[in-house]
Amino acid sequence: MADTTMGPGAPRPALFLRNATGLVKAWSTFDAFVYSFWSVNLITLGLYGMSYVYNIPDGQLLASVLIFGVLVTFIVITYAGLVSVMPRTGGDYAWQSRVLGGGIGFVLAVTGWWFTLWLWAPIYANILVVQFFAPLAATLGWSNVATWAASPNGLFVSALILLAFVGVVVSLGMETYAKVQKICFWIGLAGLAVVCILLAVYSQSDFHSAFNREAASLFNVQGDAYQQTIDAASKGGFTAVAFSSFALVPTLLVLPYLAFYLLWPNWGATLYGEVRGAKDIRKPFWSMFWGLWVTIALVVLVILLMLKTVGWQFYYAANAAYWNSYYAVAGAPAPPVPLWPYPVMWAGFLVNNHLFQALLITVMALWFFGWAGTLFLSSTRVIFAAAFDRVLPSWAANISAKRRVPYGSLALMIAPALVVSWLYAYKTTVQAFFYDATAVIAITFLGTVIAAIILPWRRKDLYEASPVARYKVAGIPLITISGVVSALFLIGMLYEWAHWSLYGSNSPDSAKYFLVTYLAAVVIYVAARIVRSRQGIDLRRIHHEIPVE
Amino acid sequence: MPKVFFATDLHGSEVCWKKFLNSAKFYGADVLICGGDMTGKAIVPIVAENGHFTFALGGAPQAVAAEQVAEVEANIRRKGYYPLQMSVERLHELDGDPAKRAACFQEVMLEGVDRWMKLAAEKLRGTGIRCFVSPGNDDEMEVDDVIRRAELVELAEGRVVEIDGYSMISTGWSNPTPWNTHREESEEQLTKRIEEMATQIQDPSRAIFNLHCPPYKSGLDEAPAIDADLKLLHGGRALRPVGSTAVRQAIEKHQPLISLHGHIHESKGAVKIGKTLSINPGSAYEEGMLMGAIVQLDSKKGIKSYQLVNG
Repeated sequence: MADTTMGPGAPRPALFLRNATGLVKAWSTFDAFVYSFWSVNLITLGLYGMSYVYNIPDGQLLASVLIFGVLVTFIVITYAGLVSVMPRTGGDYAWQSRVLGGGIGFVLAVTGWWFTLWLWAPIYANILVVQFFAPLAATLGWSNVATWAASPNGLFVSALILLAFVGVVVSLGMETYAKVQKICFWIGLAGLAVVCILLAVYSQSDFHSAFNREAASLFNVQGDAYQQTIDAASKGGFTAVAFSSFALVPTLLVLPYLAFYLLWPNWGATLYGEVRGAKDIRKPFWSMFWGLWVTIALVVLVILLMLKTVGWQFYYAANAAYWNSYYAVAGAPAPPVPLWPYPVMWAGFLVNNHLFQALLITVMALWFFGWAGTLFLSSTRVIFAAAFDRVLPSWAANISAKRRVPYGSLALMIAPALVVSWLYAYKTTVQAFFYDATAVIAITFLGTVIAAIILPWRRKDLYEASPVARYKVAGIPLITISGVVSALFLIGMLYEWAHWSLYGSNSPDSAKYFLVTYLAAVVIYVAARIVRSRQGIDLRRIHHEIPVE
Repeated sequence: MPKVFFATDLHGSEVCWKKFLNSAKFYGADVLICGGDMTGKAIVPIVAENGHFTFALGGAPQAVAAEQVAEVEANIRRKGYYPLQMSVERLHELDGDPAKRAACFQEVMLEGVDRWMKLAAEKLRGTGIRCFVSPGNDDEMEVDDVIRRAELVELAEGRVVEIDGYSMISTGWSNPTPWNTHREESEEQLTKRIEEMATQIQDPSRAIFNLHCPPYKSGLDEAPAIDADLKLLHGGRALRPVGSTAVRQAIEKHQPLISLHGHIHESKGAVKIGKTLSINPGSAYEEGMLMGAIVQLDSKKGIKSYQLVNG
């Protein structure tokens, strides 16, 4: 029955294993990479997030992307270390609870992974509209459908479709969805290759002509639509800066916009608890690292191709004209092409065939459908973990017997997300809250990296028993060093969000949102402590370590 | 009414066993139940050669002096592995002979369980605390004899035991797994095994089903999907229910007050199956963390309270 395992590269056995439950072969780093790669989704989140960068025209986008990549790598190191020390389902919640305490862990985790994910539902719904429904309808000549899709009704229907899709994915489970993701991954990459090839082989004058041709054909725009777009941006107050110019402070100010997509290579960390073998630090690290840096390489490629073929001034001007019109900036006219400036659609314009353009938009929508299904996956895990700790009612972790649907946690996600989506669609005055969607999660990450910084002292036993303990720099634990750099990075971005009006999150409404969100989490936790105490349950003892001797 | 502390799947972690014994005092429990899979999965050879000792624990081989070996052994035991000092010749002998390796495994495992039983006697003597152990599917059959001989630990496997007016049935047998472990059988045989005990229970509302394998599709049985080569699929994120239909049917049919499970370390949780509260506290034995469940029984309410803890 006994089996032998050779140590890595060892000339003789490092240990003898016997047949026992759970001894499995390591998971594929590539599979985990795909998940991380989807998390920092270049098309769905990246192009959308970068469409706001026109606000800082003197910020050097390429340099910002590279700086962001280096800084997020420290977060990747920190999270890989935590996965290795405590590979627990619940990720941020479990780590913060065990290191910082149950109350802090609950408040920081549920605000980031539960409440704030409600805000992401309409944001994703809007992305679905601007990257799929509207451009597809316009390309097929259904201009009324395209206009309706961009209306409040269209946005709310898009949110309903998204929530139904997310509910189905959570109910089917990750095994089925992982297969779908793989198909979407390869076809989506093929689509991106086509986009890049088109942008590479055609010139800027070709694009200029193609844009004008499609603007006339699809949107009845007469004259030079390309130039009219630039002019519309100028009238709204936008002034272009050369791509080659560099200024440090504006470049750093771009970082919070990039957080919209590049901050998430560790998104799957809430799920690592279910992965046997996660204690090996290398696999979670490399899967997140490559997910981040392959995306960054693709971002660099896409930026350079846009610079060459679309023109940097036009790219920023198109975004400025669209958003200035969307937010009704005084004096800003509507852009001649009224759709969100979707580089995929622009690449399609280079081929004078509407069916091809529609096909390209559909194929590139797989970047959305391959990822959006996981929107609430991590949230349900955090809700489960809090329910098992008796902080939330036990029904929150209920699953149906027949189909294993986690209906309790889904209800806690989908019902509020429906209300929030309705508000987003029909009450534009509350849209300021949605600018906080990234910052709140960054605060959750900050709590986790602080836990990582003090882990070697606070939970010395766990740390020293982990593979991470052997990684030190000048005698200081690597997880502490990477945690400090990560914390400084996150604090710097939080300062930018709080200080500058560029990001829309330093308004009184944002402050109210933060206050209400964190207060709600504190109230839930305190209420749980009181209620459970009456039931004879002391929530403080959940993470108290039993003496060994 | 008794307060029960339940933990499971310690897999040879001596730190967890010591915490388990101390949990009675720590949580004020009257009854300790260890749900199975006590024994470790691996032997780590500590090889004597050229005046020092070499070993590898999750990384490159390391050499230590004789006076450091005790510390190394403690660290290995903490993870649930068995440290074993040996010569280079013995290492190659074990490597080349599966039968000798199996015999060696059994010897160190039984020694380990015997040491745990003695630790239990030291800790529990005079406390009045009852301690039950029912070996799991990963534990060889010979483990039962070591527990039977224990002074203050009661073997719970295959019988009905009375705990302050509550009846508990126990088995560490599971439905078939890809690893072909020591206590596996078909769902039909498992049904028969459970029924033989369950039918002896007079009042299901005062019954505890201590069944190592969790009920099928309960959420307590979700394990990462693997292929035929035991390789994790989809980065380990795809989960499948692998629990027992026999266990589920037994719970649904008899509706005990509570059912206690383990087996699937990642599938920590507490769910209701009809009137029954089913618990899998999970396991983090490799970290030396004792995950467990505290259950306060009550003559009127049945279960006054329960809590999953990470001790």
